[in-house]
Amino acid sequence: MHTRKISHLSSLWIILRKEVVDNARDRRTLTTMAVSIVIFPLLMFGLIWFLDKTVKEETDLVNAPALKLPVVGAEYAPNLINWLTQNNIEVIKPPADPELSISKGEHRVILFIGADYPESFRNGTTAPLRLIHDSSITGLEKIGFNMVQGAIRAYSGQIASLRLTARGINPEAANPIRINLSDVASPHARSGQFLTMMPYLLIMFIMAGGMYLAIDTTAGEREKGSLEPLLTQPVKRHIVLLAKLGATIVFSSLTLLMVLAGLGLAFAYMPVDIISISVGIGKIATIFIACLPFVFAGCALMVLVASFTKSYKEAQSYLGMVMLIPTLPLMSLAFMSPEPSTSNMWVPALSQGIIIIETLKGETVALELIGLSMICSTILATALAWVAIKLYQRERILG
Amino acid sequence: MIEVSNLRKYFGSVKAVDGVSFRAEDGKITGLLGPNGAGKSTTLRILYTAFRPDAGTALIDNLDVTIDKLAVRSSIGVLTHGAGIYERLTAYENIRYFGELHGMSGKELKMRIGELAELLEMNDFIERRAKGFSQGQKTKVALARALVHNPKNVLLDEPTNGLDIMATRGLREVIQRLKGAGHCVLFSSHVMQEVAALCDEIVIIANGTVAASGSPEQLRADTGQTNLEDAFVKAIGSEEGLI
Repeated sequence: MHTRKISHLSSLWIILRKEVVDNARDRRTLTTMAVSIVIFPLLMFGLIWFLDKTVKEETDLVNAPALKLPVVGAEYAPNLINWLTQNNIEVIKPPADPELSISKGEHRVILFIGADYPESFRNGTTAPLRLIHDSSITGLEKIGFNMVQGAIRAYSGQIASLRLTARGINPEAANPIRINLSDVASPHARSGQFLTMMPYLLIMFIMAGGMYLAIDTTAGEREKGSLEPLLTQPVKRHIVLLAKLGATIVFSSLTLLMVLAGLGLAFAYMPVDIISISVGIGKIATIFIACLPFVFAGCALMVLVASFTKSYKEAQSYLGMVMLIPTLPLMSLAFMSPEPSTSNMWVPALSQGIIIIETLKGETVALELIGLSMICSTILATALAWVAIKLYQRERILG
Repeated sequence: MIEVSNLRKYFGSVKAVDGVSFRAEDGKITGLLGPNGAGKSTTLRILYTAFRPDAGTALIDNLDVTIDKLAVRSSIGVLTHGAGIYERLTAYENIRYFGELHGMSGKELKMRIGELAELLEMNDFIERRAKGFSQGQKTKVALARALVHNPKNVLLDEPTNGLDIMATRGLREVIQRLKGAGHCVLFSSHVMQEVAALCDEIVIIANGTVAASGSPEQLRADTGQTNLEDAFVKAIGSEEGLI
């Protein structure tokens, strides 16, 4: 008869190892991981590549085809038309109803020169011009509007200087202030806007990577009928739960590591100019380590929720929703770009999001703030794990 | 040895087990016989420490199942209802996993699994992954898993469920051998013939209480019936749930 004692630690290790082997043979777990490594960088870079290409085409002033600008009353301002033509703007015949054609989207911008223009110009008063456009149009489609406006302003400025000079006044007198802009953003930081979606995606993958194991821990084992035999082994229940949580963390963090590695490779080999970011080992390591407490918290949350579901299907649908919880604090990243500080770095998920963005930008987050983030997330994770253990110890767990 | 006295377990207003007492001796096969829902599984679940009784005591080798949980679990081998095994592990890995949890390892564990594979005639599928196993094969794996640490007490919950005739015969042989080796075997069943063929002691459970108990001969004598089936019906007071 075997009545030997077995330490908690070796029980933990035996169960954890079994879960890792068992799940490594599970197609669902592997598919999730494969998707994260292949699809994620592709998706990311497909989008960036498309943006890059469009921006380049639209803003290439040297090779770009002339902007077509319908002008009403071109005959009243031959000089202005000349100026526009020199500025790579091709004046074309206007449509019959300019307003309608703009609102229909046939043209983005139309210049309207009134019959009173020549007279005002001659008299040296302000000559009115009307630009018809649709202000609800945003993004690259606005480039044409901005270009026309800029060209007209430049023309106006030139005429103003000439008029002042003709009256014996230094044109600088009319420009008391000139603003010179110095942009301190590194080229990396300017790519930052593209990076705001990175925390969202990384955190989703952390959750997805551990989801199937979290379900398997309770609902899955119960459905297979293997939970009861397991709980009759000479192992404390909280050890069983912690071992399973450990296995969930292994897969979740492995997914994170692979996504980061895929990202690093993609950034290194993708021919994209708009974002010049290198994701080296250092950055990967920083993000990975800073995110580990969140991995712990996310997995604990999933194990907890899975422990009061009755079936695999139920657990799956609950966890689909639970996966979204950590992305809520990240919403704020879409609207503002908060600097890391003690007021935001204690928030789990948000703080990791900030660390991800700052690190990818090439900026360093103060160690004590990273520490704050890690400690607060660990506290949350421990609390969640504790609740999960309590739930796991109920008799109802056996269904 | 298993001693149960005045065990109670209520789920809300349902009295699943309501004052069950019996003894299962070493070197004997004791059968818990009763219709479905009589409280057999709940009694076993209390014995293998999955449930905590509301009242009464259950001792296994003089260890209280509510106090010395880990020691109790070390001294029992359990075949639970349904016998779930891990489909992505091989039969061998399934058995090894539980052996390791009992502190076994290395050569000793390997030899023990070999022994069980021989005993339960599992050699032709021992290295195969359990996905797609027949119910009989699954039960064999689960039984081997329950016996891997050579437990003094063996608890089997409806072990012949879903088994074909050959597999049932094999299982009976294994149970007889365990008896021969001095183990205390306690198994539950709602199949009368099975209990009659195997058991030295029969505990008839109905509605959460012990309706009658004793050796087959005693039961027949006590109820004044010549065959066991009539004795059983007489003991539980109805033909409901009888197979």
